[in-house]
Amino acid sequence: MIPKTSTPAARALVVCGAALSLVSPFLAWTWTSRYPGNLTVYGYPGGSQLLTLAGALLAAVFTAAVLGVPGLRALAPAGAVRALRAASLAALTATWITVGAIAVDLGGVVNVEPGGWLAAGAVLLLAAGAHALPDDTVTEPPPAARLPRAAEGALITVVFLAAMYVLTYGITTDSAQDFLAFLPAAGFGVRALAAAGLTARFGALTARNRIAVAVAALASALVFPFTQTGDQYTAIADNILVFAAVALGLNIVVGLVGLLDLGYVAFLGTGAYTAALVSGSTFSTFDIGPWPFWATALLGMGVSLVAGLVIGAPTLRLHGDYLAIVTLGFGEIFRITVNNLDGTSGPRLTNGPNGINSVPNLTVFGFDLGTRHTLLGVTFGRFANYYLLLLAVIAVIVFVYARAGNSRIGRAWIALREDEKAATAMGIEGFRYKLLAFGLGASLAGLAGTVMAHLQTNAVPENYKFADTAPPNSAFLLAAVVLGGMGTVSGPLVGAALLYLIPAKFAFFSQYQMMLFGLALILMMRFRPEGLVPDRRHRLEFHDEQVAAAEARRTAAEATA
Amino acid sequence: MTATDVLQLLADGLVLGTMYGLIAVGYTMVYGILQIINFAHGEIYMLGGFGALFVYAWVPGLRAVSLWLALPVLLVAAVVVSVAAAVAAERFAYRPLRGAPRLAPLITAIGLSLFLQQVVFNFFTLPGGSVGVTAPVPFPQLPGEPLHLGGVTLSHAALLTLVVAALAMVVLTWFVARTRTGRAMQATAQDPKTARLMGIDTDRVIVVAFAIGALLAAVACVTQGLRLGTISYNMGFIAGLKGFTAAVLGGIGNIKGAMLGGVVLGVAEALASGLLPHLPALHMFGGSVWKDVWAFVILIVVLLIRPQGLLGERIADRA
Repeated sequence: MIPKTSTPAARALVVCGAALSLVSPFLAWTWTSRYPGNLTVYGYPGGSQLLTLAGALLAAVFTAAVLGVPGLRALAPAGAVRALRAASLAALTATWITVGAIAVDLGGVVNVEPGGWLAAGAVLLLAAGAHALPDDTVTEPPPAARLPRAAEGALITVVFLAAMYVLTYGITTDSAQDFLAFLPAAGFGVRALAAAGLTARFGALTARNRIAVAVAALASALVFPFTQTGDQYTAIADNILVFAAVALGLNIVVGLVGLLDLGYVAFLGTGAYTAALVSGSTFSTFDIGPWPFWATALLGMGVSLVAGLVIGAPTLRLHGDYLAIVTLGFGEIFRITVNNLDGTSGPRLTNGPNGINSVPNLTVFGFDLGTRHTLLGVTFGRFANYYLLLLAVIAVIVFVYARAGNSRIGRAWIALREDEKAATAMGIEGFRYKLLAFGLGASLAGLAGTVMAHLQTNAVPENYKFADTAPPNSAFLLAAVVLGGMGTVSGPLVGAALLYLIPAKFAFFSQYQMMLFGLALILMMRFRPEGLVPDRRHRLEFHDEQVAAAEARRTAAEATA
Repeated sequence: MTATDVLQLLADGLVLGTMYGLIAVGYTMVYGILQIINFAHGEIYMLGGFGALFVYAWVPGLRAVSLWLALPVLLVAAVVVSVAAAVAAERFAYRPLRGAPRLAPLITAIGLSLFLQQVVFNFFTLPGGSVGVTAPVPFPQLPGEPLHLGGVTLSHAALLTLVVAALAMVVLTWFVARTRTGRAMQATAQDPKTARLMGIDTDRVIVVAFAIGALLAAVACVTQGLRLGTISYNMGFIAGLKGFTAAVLGGIGNIKGAMLGGVVLGVAEALASGLLPHLPALHMFGGSVWKDVWAFVILIVVLLIRPQGLLGERIADRA
């Protein structure tokens, strides 16, 4: 419980805390460079100190807004205090995790230098002060001033670049400690922006400038390979992109139409095996290929589509729960089948558990993705090449998603998701639209699979399971969609990035990962079923009581006013 | 392939099928009342086996007596663990989601299924062993020679499965038709709102449905352990899938149908893996590795030609 403090005292606390928090990253926090990130240097922040600095900067801005510094008040249209609280928590968690990790890793608090103590104290002051300030939340923030179109586009680009910077920081953290400090800092940072009302502002801005958003998102994603010198993190980014592409495909099926597909990874596997079989690999049972990328992609999509129709046609006429279990079964059957089409326990097609290895690199428009290319003075290695190809694949999927979702078909899908009976009564042919969505989802997964087989140079049964400690697998895919937010584009992207990075960075914890993952799914459904990036309609659906209560409060307030 | 061989296949299929039937009852009862598929039922089943093994391994003296004497203790332990897990799952995971969109309980069920499986994987410990089970663990075996009935060989465990399943079906039919709680269940399955208006505590009925399903699943898992000699932390996944297939095959919501579906599935599976190797065209797809695939093909075919199941009537969707 925070003791009652008078507002001036709280303000003084916040100002002191913010000032000291800003200074502390420039001091040494420990004496030895054995702690990752080298926190021993005076005058130059490094490693996790950057997180404290970022949190403190954010807090300082909102402190200024609370104090009424002219011009800065506009940065927190929905109220600065709750934003300040979240920002202070970002600084607090990052700092205390780092200081704690120094003490634990190096064996005792004696290893924390005065700078570290100062930082820990400063963020505590900041957080205490922020939480003692009275809330100033504005329920209806004033509408934002319209900027010229070019300025809005520039603003969107800057925001996307900043988001990309944060994501890149997360991807390139090279120790579990750094990533552990990064996660809550990023989470509270985003919450601070949301509490300040900036996220809503930005949402309105993006809604007005769809094309600028697409261009800015693509441009900031293109920046990533230019910032990388080695292949290490580009490979991670590639895997995230494969995962994200499949999650986006699943999002059509689950998010838009509300069909629970629990064997989605089998369609990814179908695409991957198809591509591997026609890749000209010496392990392939067919002596054909290598085919050009467009032919492989079309074939992979086609085979996955057929599989999707075979599974979907009998089940989509029935109640949705049947689909869930049939797809679950299909996922398992796929794995069993490719495991046994090895020539001894079944016909020879997939080489059983060994899979099809040595899948050669793709050639796209004459570019061999396996060789280095130099572009604008930057050398693109193999993984950077695939990064670009995967970006293109994701762009295609997002384009299909956006166009279909915003059309007559998409509205029919959403209607079916919301109330199948009512939709059918309105003349929507449920079965046809559901089959369309299911087939589309399957073929998009097949497309991602064709790239995945070439990226990983193989197609093996172990990659396409229902649940495993590393993505992509059906359970993680579903979780990426659910965690991120069903029915949005950014949701599955965020979900995929988080669900890839968390197991990858905390590898030492892998034994308990699946258990916590299961628990997280249960808790998620219980407390935040709409996901991290909620679709407006889903939020209303899951929290209709709260929304109704808020509406009632507003009407009452209007009536009294 | 002689007639005796076929008879043996049929007998094996019957035993396997009654075991599937016991699992299927749990799916069918919960579905009949709540219209949700309790995906975690396979893990509830698996927990029963590990509960029995835990007691057998840790309670001193149990291993000294004949397994026939220890068996009641094992069964009670299995039932206690499974029922406790199922009731807790209902109370803390499913009940808060009642009235939420349909996707929510399904996703919760997947989370629950992974969670329960991993708890056993990480923490189940046998005396003198390390913490956690990564591989199948041996299950105690009933002593004595298998029985030979006219050329067909049946182990004690197989006979036990048949007896237990028959007994369970008789008791369950009586329970649902004759007792107050059973009739309350029927009423709730027909129309939960009206049932509540008539003074039926539907929450209690739901808990009872989960508990009965868990009880039968726990017994099924013990018989499975006795028959196969091992249990493993991930045995619930395929077993759950088969149990659901059996429930759909018999007509979901129909208790007798669940058992019938189980038997049909078990026999079909046994015949597929036993007879196919002798067919010229399909011999490559015979053998035990393909039996799960055939079960799945049966599910798809049933959904295609008779989606309401063997005994099911076309139920109006009341979502």
